Amino acid sequence: MSIRLVIESVVFVYPDGTRALDGVDLEIGPGELVAIVGQNGSGKSTLVRHLNGLLRPTEGRVLIDGRDAAHFHVAQLAAQVGLAFQNPDRQIFAGRVRAEVAFGPRNLRLRGATLERAVDEALDAVGLTGAADANSYDLGYSRRKLLAIASVLAMRTPVVVLDEPTTGQDARGVARVRSIVERLSAEGRTVITISHDMRFVAETSRRVVVMRAGRIVLDGTPAEVFAQPNWPALASTYLEPTLPARVGARLELGSTPTEASLVAALAARAARAAQEG
Amino acid sequence: MTADGEIGTRRSTLPEYVLRPTSGPYRSLNPATKLIIGIVEVVAAFVVGHWTGPLLVLLVIALVGWRAHVTRQLLLVGSLTLPVVGSILLINTFLLPGATDAILRVGPLAPTWSGLAFGLQVTLRLLAISLALALVYLTTPIDDLLSDLEARGLGRRLVFVVGAAVNTVPRTIERAAEILDAQRARGLDTEGRFWQRARGVLPLAAPVIFGALTEVEEQTMALEARAFSAPARRTVLRPLPDSAAQRLLRWALFLGAVAAVAGEMAGLLRLP
Amino acid sequence: MTLSLSGATYRYAGAPRDVLLGVDLSVTPGRVLGLIGPNEAGKSTLCLVASGLAPASIGGRLQGSVTVDGVETRSLKPHELAQRCGVLFQNPTTQLSGTAVTVFEELAFGPRNLGLPVDEIVGRVEWALDTLGIAALAPKDPARLSGGQAQLVALASVLALRPAYLVLDEPTSQLDPQGTRLVGDALARLAGETGTGILIVEHKTELLATMADEVAVLDAGHVVAAGPTAQVLADPELLARGVEPPAAVRLRRALDAVGLSLDPALLAEPSVGGAGTIDRPGSGGGRA
Repeated sequence: MSIRLVIESVVFVYPDGTRALDGVDLEIGPGELVAIVGQNGSGKSTLVRHLNGLLRPTEGRVLIDGRDAAHFHVAQLAAQVGLAFQNPDRQIFAGRVRAEVAFGPRNLRLRGATLERAVDEALDAVGLTGAADANSYDLGYSRRKLLAIASVLAMRTPVVVLDEPTTGQDARGVARVRSIVERLSAEGRTVITISHDMRFVAETSRRVVVMRAGRIVLDGTPAEVFAQPNWPALASTYLEPTLPARVGARLELGSTPTEASLVAALAARAARAAQEG
Repeated sequence: MTADGEIGTRRSTLPEYVLRPTSGPYRSLNPATKLIIGIVEVVAAFVVGHWTGPLLVLLVIALVGWRAHVTRQLLLVGSLTLPVVGSILLINTFLLPGATDAILRVGPLAPTWSGLAFGLQVTLRLLAISLALALVYLTTPIDDLLSDLEARGLGRRLVFVVGAAVNTVPRTIERAAEILDAQRARGLDTEGRFWQRARGVLPLAAPVIFGALTEVEEQTMALEARAFSAPARRTVLRPLPDSAAQRLLRWALFLGAVAAVAGEMAGLLRLP
Repeated sequence: MTLSLSGATYRYAGAPRDVLLGVDLSVTPGRVLGLIGPNEAGKSTLCLVASGLAPASIGGRLQGSVTVDGVETRSLKPHELAQRCGVLFQNPTTQLSGTAVTVFEELAFGPRNLGLPVDEIVGRVEWALDTLGIAALAPKDPARLSGGQAQLVALASVLALRPAYLVLDEPTSQLDPQGTRLVGDALARLAGETGTGILIVEHKTELLATMADEVAVLDAGHVVAAGPTAQVLADPELLARGVEPPAAVRLRRALDAVGLSLDPALLAEPSVGGAGTIDRPGSGGGRA
């Protein structure tokens, strides 16, 4: 159920003249787990809106599963690429949680038992099964955010894009989002997250794309992107390497963007020292 | 307590960009005077004769706009009315009921002179009204107008609600656009047939309304935190010039407008 | 002289149960009290109660006592409260008056409501701008600021009322890294320089680690832990309560688990930003 996404020399200029994308080339293979990072206005949201046709390139083209997105309606592309927006309150409309989650799959012509199952699975994935019959507006912000994610998961799209899924979440919420992402990835779906949370990015993604002023400035694994030589590039877009990355660099252990990688590197060094000593 | 001492020890005059000194006779008028002039222009364009009113008003606007350096913006506003103007002209020229003085006949089509004349009058009135209001808007900062109305006794809350409502429009449009995007991303068909699009009203309207309500609640609290409900008379940062002459002018214009309306209704004014 | 809650229990108008249950907290001038806790623990409600907006502006039922420098908030009117305790919310855009055409006038909005003379208003506005290092923003249109800049303007607008205390409800949660740094730096400076007592709700424990003197943990309406910042943030219970400990605490714990240790100075490693590559807030603000 996985598909390939190709963005080819895409330039996008808003009607007010803002050049939000300034020549972006990006290929995301089936089942990849990618984080897109960069400060507000760097073009992240503009870029992902090209994946389901909400925005159409001024120049260049977007290929979804080998076909030019220009030939399809947003409603058609939505079956391929699910996009959960940052602010849940810009989409929640149904009185009941269940109805909200069913909206997307219903638009994709899911009916009957298939629809029910898609809704149940999505609610389960975000941990809202118990709130299925609650009023959507009675949920707190963090749970409304999970509801918005569930409403996209229920569409069972091969590609899932989550815009800032961890903002406003506490430790449990962040852990929940991480498990959602890992589960989707394990199912072989392509997952793209947009995030300002570098720890989340380093720990959950296998590829990190850094954007600045409408261009991609870094693209690689977390270890590559958070390696010391890239720090100035990160700083230029107000991103900061994680603490484990900074400590690892100070100790000349190489690039250790996550706690686990730093602990492993330290343990390996201790073992070597013990052998030599 | 916070460090007090230094308050008021430095420059205590308002910066230039807050004082916003006005230039030229029209711009320096009190906002209320400009508003009255605008309203009287609208009335005049409507009631004075068929051609005299609209043409006179347009002439005045053109002169004032030229002196106030807003000609370019006025032309822009004028061009925005073109689609409406065009359709009014076409409809009246071709379809004015009862008109028989055909300019020419092409098959079933018979444009008439009286239709064209009537269409032109409507068009000129429309143009005069939009430009009269645009002129006030272009030469009067909205907060000046509001603070003047407040100084004239309109309630602080009412004035604020009007001001904030004007300023909320762009934000509401932006929010609506994002909601539309979010629902389209969930497969809501807005490019398909009409009945499909009609189903999309609730998913679009509900978040707009809910969002506006939460925003109002947040904003109300934020205002209280800014001492909005203090009983004191609000300080006016930029006193707006007014004079006996302007007051006289406003009354004269007001009475003139009333007289024009009365004269027109009584059929005393027989202007072309 | 404190902002203090004692046995504060609060229920929203029409709500079935209390959101805060017997909360005891106090904020002293010149000190920063961080408040952490899981989502829906009642942190935002506590901000409304501490600043007196609840019940003065939004109603509801408050039991126990909330006092600002010895005066019960219940006995004060909203505009009197505003001069004793300022409050800043998450969303920068809804906090601006929406009627001012320049940042200067936005800041003047509060003092004007009080009917202060023009020269005092000018003095207060300039002081607030300088204190947060945003004098360069003064002539700008408040509607055209980046999120971080808008949040600083909202904070400066509250400061212009010269409150002795500030209550900040997740002031950086809706900002990008640049905005977070802008606001975080300004807050740290504010706490150190003005002698204002600050209560700040913040998910980012790293930010609290650098600026808070004390931290309290709120869970289901109760204060379940309180004490010096380092001690509370190192509390092993924190994660179980739904609060993410700072990176340094987590890392130390992960190392402990495998019998390794690191020089504490390394874990206190300051952020690498700043080093000449980042615009300082005073330099006229970053790009939007």
